Amino acid sequence: MTGSDAGDEGDRSPYEAAYAHPDGDATAARLAQTARRYGYDGLVIRTREADFDPDALRERYDVDVVPAVEVVADEPSSASGAVGNFRPDFPLVLVRGGTDALNRFAVEQDRVDVLAAPLSGDGGFNHVLAKAAATHGTRVEFDLGPALRESGGTRVRALGGLRKLREIVGHYDAPYVVSARPTSHLELRSSRELVALGSELGFDESWLRAGLAEWGRLAARNRERLSAEFISPGVRVDRCEEDDR
Amino acid sequence: MKHLPKHLRPRWRYVVVGLESWPDADLSRGPFQREVWYAAQNLLGDPGSADADLTVVRFRFEAGTGAAIVRVRRGELDRGRAALACVDAVDGHPVGVRVRGVSGTIRAGEESYLGDAGGFTDERTVEHTVADESGPGRRRRDGAVDVSTPSGYVGATDRDTSRPGRSDPVDDADSDGH
Repeated sequence: MTGSDAGDEGDRSPYEAAYAHPDGDATAARLAQTARRYGYDGLVIRTREADFDPDALRERYDVDVVPAVEVVADEPSSASGAVGNFRPDFPLVLVRGGTDALNRFAVEQDRVDVLAAPLSGDGGFNHVLAKAAATHGTRVEFDLGPALRESGGTRVRALGGLRKLREIVGHYDAPYVVSARPTSHLELRSSRELVALGSELGFDESWLRAGLAEWGRLAARNRERLSAEFISPGVRVDRCEEDDR
Repeated sequence: MKHLPKHLRPRWRYVVVGLESWPDADLSRGPFQREVWYAAQNLLGDPGSADADLTVVRFRFEAGTGAAIVRVRRGELDRGRAALACVDAVDGHPVGVRVRGVSGTIRAGEESYLGDAGGFTDERTVEHTVADESGPGRRRRDGAVDVSTPSGYVGATDRDTSRPGRSDPVDDADSDGH
């Protein structure tokens, strides 16, 4: 199962998307330092409250640090408000899934970049959501965290979920991202390790690498959209634009 | 028993693994080996685990950082790597695990990838403040600071911690090697 963009070997810088203090146990700077050592080119900070200067961190650790917000809500209505509030200020806006309603909301919103952890809680995923994700360009997150950190029945169920998700997302060619969802520098694993683990779980190697690199592609696209010259997809001031939604 | 002829002996690869934990973690080889076997068995199953045959042949851990060399059967390297990635805690201490490199002999592994293994050349444990929480913190040579706050350890760096009562943290800012 090779994704449509698997032929593009040039742009394969792996990114990881982590929780920083206060959601996690490490500051953004410590995560960036560790990410560099682990061979990542970029790091998405999912924690809105984290206090850091992305440019200073990029300068210091040579890692592209992307501030993001992961919206955690009980209801689509409250998630919608949060997405609207944060969209203008953050290059990446994620919505944490976990219920059918939230999963559905996230994949049907053009404003949402990533549906995070769709199978956490009692959220489900099916062909309808996969088609919507493909239409609206919402990336579906493959969460390798439970494969790394859980054991027993919890892990077995999580692996079963990953397989199901892979089959659905692969079939409809929906966009996706891959992450281990680390909450500290100790939970980070290098991209090579994640790829090795994914291969054991039945994922294709280049497909996984594309999922790790997708964070970076997405961040670059959205930064451009946030920039002043951008008007709408295909319309911008001055230079020409290749739209990749 | 007589040694196997050379062409029948298993061939090994030696994986040099960097380890990291909080400063109070006291890891030793036995528990680490046990976790590696657990991880392999849980991920690869009994047959896969036997094939990979992950054995810890060198182990060193001191004050929060360390390294190990793990033997893996040649050809099973990626499966061994996957199993090692799944080691997330030893004796209840969360650990960071990173494959630094792979060699054909233990010695080459030591020489190539164990150079900077020691962790704390800067052993001082002093009061640090990170994100409005203070506690005893320990700073490593590479600028990483682990602060023991009332709500648990926080991993930080010397740039986002401050030392109460020190207006000019001169010796904190000088060695930024990474």
